Amino acid sequence: MIKTDVIIIGGGSTGCGVARDLALRGIPHCLIEKGDFAAGATGACHGLLHSGARYVVNDSEAAAECISENMIMRKIGVKCVEQTGGLFVRLPGDSKRFRDMFLKSCEQTGISAEVLSPSRALDLVHNLNPSLEEAIKVPDCSIDPFRLCMLNITSSQKRGGQILTHNRVIDIIKEHGRCVGVKVQEESTSEFKEIRGKIIINAAGAWGDNIASLAGSTVPMTLSKGSLIVTNHRLTNMVINRLRPSSDGDIIVPNEAVCLAGTTSITVTDPDENEVDPAEVDIIATQAQQLLPEFGTTRLIRTYAGVRPLLKADGGDDRKISRSFKIIDHKNGMFSIMGGKLTTYRLMAEKISDRVMEALGLKTRCRTAELPLEGQEELSGYPLSKRLKTMENIVCECELVTTDAVERVAGKIGTRRIGDIQHRTRLGMGPCQGGFCTYRALGIMQETGKMTPEESRRILREFLQRRFKGIKPALWGDQLREEQLIESIYLGILGMEQEQ
Amino acid sequence: MSGSYDVVIIGGGISGMMAAVALAEKGRKVAVISKGDPVCCFSTGCIDVLADGDDPLNGLGSLPDNHPYHLVGEDAVAKALELFRDIMSEEGMPYVGDVHVNRRVLTSLGRSKVTCLVPETMEFADFDPDEYIHVISFYKMKDFYPQYITSRYTNADYSIFDPGVITTAGIAEKFENRPFLEKFIFWLRDLDIPEGRIAVPAVLGRSLAGDVYHQVSAGCGRKIFEIPTMPPSMPGLRLFGGLKKALLRKGVNLYWGRGIYSVEKLGNRIEAVTLASAGRTTRVEGKAFILATGSFVSGGLQAFMDTVTETVFDLPTYLPGSRGTWFNDDFFAPGHEIEKAGIRVDSSFRPVETEIDNLHVCGSILAFSEVMKHRCGNGMAIATGVAAAQACGGLV
Repeated sequence: MIKTDVIIIGGGSTGCGVARDLALRGIPHCLIEKGDFAAGATGACHGLLHSGARYVVNDSEAAAECISENMIMRKIGVKCVEQTGGLFVRLPGDSKRFRDMFLKSCEQTGISAEVLSPSRALDLVHNLNPSLEEAIKVPDCSIDPFRLCMLNITSSQKRGGQILTHNRVIDIIKEHGRCVGVKVQEESTSEFKEIRGKIIINAAGAWGDNIASLAGSTVPMTLSKGSLIVTNHRLTNMVINRLRPSSDGDIIVPNEAVCLAGTTSITVTDPDENEVDPAEVDIIATQAQQLLPEFGTTRLIRTYAGVRPLLKADGGDDRKISRSFKIIDHKNGMFSIMGGKLTTYRLMAEKISDRVMEALGLKTRCRTAELPLEGQEELSGYPLSKRLKTMENIVCECELVTTDAVERVAGKIGTRRIGDIQHRTRLGMGPCQGGFCTYRALGIMQETGKMTPEESRRILREFLQRRFKGIKPALWGDQLREEQLIESIYLGILGMEQEQ
Repeated sequence: MSGSYDVVIIGGGISGMMAAVALAEKGRKVAVISKGDPVCCFSTGCIDVLADGDDPLNGLGSLPDNHPYHLVGEDAVAKALELFRDIMSEEGMPYVGDVHVNRRVLTSLGRSKVTCLVPETMEFADFDPDEYIHVISFYKMKDFYPQYITSRYTNADYSIFDPGVITTAGIAEKFENRPFLEKFIFWLRDLDIPEGRIAVPAVLGRSLAGDVYHQVSAGCGRKIFEIPTMPPSMPGLRLFGGLKKALLRKGVNLYWGRGIYSVEKLGNRIEAVTLASAGRTTRVEGKAFILATGSFVSGGLQAFMDTVTETVFDLPTYLPGSRGTWFNDDFFAPGHEIEKAGIRVDSSFRPVETEIDNLHVCGSILAFSEVMKHRCGNGMAIATGVAAAQACGGLV
């Protein structure tokens, strides 16, 4: 049994942010995550550090939170935030009235917004639709959500925080009507463990209501699925938004070597619903092409979907629901935090940690906005030349990951999961989407004795199926060629169709 | 250099090259135009004819009626495969096997793959599972892990040699270096491997496979065979290299690394194609044309969001349903609908629904060929290539 003060359920950006916040205030805590970090909406979003401009017209509260957090994250997260800047592009036919409201709201909210003529906009992003009417420059950035979670966790682990990934909460232990702990089950060993604490924070995102129900409570939420497409290369160095009320396919975000285009918004009932419908892909691709015509001929390497945990709406359009957040005190030792954005994760963590301090009768103040994220000094950032220097024995050619890196990560965290390696090294995140390197990484892992050859083959099989699911909705053009090549390798050369 | 030919073949894959060989042997003046090296370089180098059943030729009858093999016929398929074997033997890369017998080769994951004709370096790859097998691997070789094989067989073990490089192509290159080869043979002999067979990833030379292979087998005194690897696959590269040498020897003109820039038509005939190149353009004139540009991977077909087009002549293309139906949900179930896409042809391999008289089509660009589903890729390429050559031979 583990004893601690605060139990955090959920290893998304909010949960990881709470772990860091509590660690910096000296509060013992234990974070429990059923998969790996950033496995829900955090890792399935478009990696945009909002300036707030997207929400400024209809949701000024969320917009104000975004811009203030945006400025903080630039300071504290130099190595996981890329200060790209963003453009809101108005195309022929887009409402001029909305544009006027947009500019007025930006001014009121304190979001810097500079109006650019078409030629000045094209100077910044040469492949924009040349028939644009104008563009408005805002301080959008891109952010690496996996890295963000890891860095937050570093602060926690440095101060004795206990982190249990791949552990699922199966029960909440109550005594005299109060939540006093949780029962968890480890994913691969199926072993049970009990964790006792004074307070439970439910930061389970889209799974929040499922967790609350274990304690006999509810969290009113609307679940909204958003789908995205990954391009084969970086089409733009700035975030490109469409200047119009939020709708499908109005954003393109550069992220390391690729771009992410999205999103859609479809109400769902199941937090595990992450199928991408080919029709959604068509919508996103068609819309993105209006912003960047080159998108029409670009290879699309993957699709994915995440489920946004939004505050409960009374029917109607998911997009009209506020992106602000809310804390619920269940009055039984459990707090739930819901809604919000990746951009505002730190603020959310601060607010709920304040509530925890109050409940514990302690007064140490929040310091997460002042101190840089720890562990960044070890990160290379993206300069390729720097990475290439020390490279030998590369297994993932797209992201330049070496045999040593795979062996090191597998050894350090003792993992048997390919996803853990991918999130920590970026193996398989590039254009081939793990088509070549996953086979190698698994080969290395079984060679080091971390897993048997049989396990390794099974994981490879599961990986290829999962990969195919992500690629299938956008299979045409060059990606279809690549896919048929991958098929001929695994079925034709390696004979995997008989594996079962 | 511009030129005028009896037959111009567009596509330098197995099908196009076999068509070229067949025509050159009949004394025709032939040119082959290719955008680049073909996809057979990525293949195992084996000739799959049809994976179902013990006798691939006998199985042809059970294929769907619209399969291109039916246009060739069983006897002609057998003859085409024999022609292929003769050519590869002439180039010093003999293929072994019987066109009436399917055999197995071991894969890098310890599975077996069904095929028909194999390079001599894989002659002993079809082994009795009870027999002892010793896998040779290379230190940190990134595309080969011997445990995948030894874990599947009760009577197996492996040893690791350090070649100083970790890529398939890098190791293969080293094997063409005599001192390295001698050192390897010495090491192998010293292992004192028990009676049985020796398996080694396909790195025994980039092009000189025969020499390296025979020296290693003689050196260790055991039956030894190669295991095809992920691309870059040496047996695939050797297959391409062998055929290309044969074309040059038979006087076929090669336009390599060149795409088609424009097509000249006169009435119902294609007169010439112009090739894209730096400086002045190249015009290649022909009495007949053969289109052997392959399917999607090689770029003969191109898929858009909801259509498929043929990339050289914009021929009418068969499309199996809308995009939502192109692929199965299961990655491991071979035979996605999209494999049926391609060019439909008449009995003399001329595209249907066109007015062109002097164009023939062969290889995996043919509609309904479904090469992954039936495992008939290289075999069908050879058979239809030779058949298309014969069909157009009468024209010139």
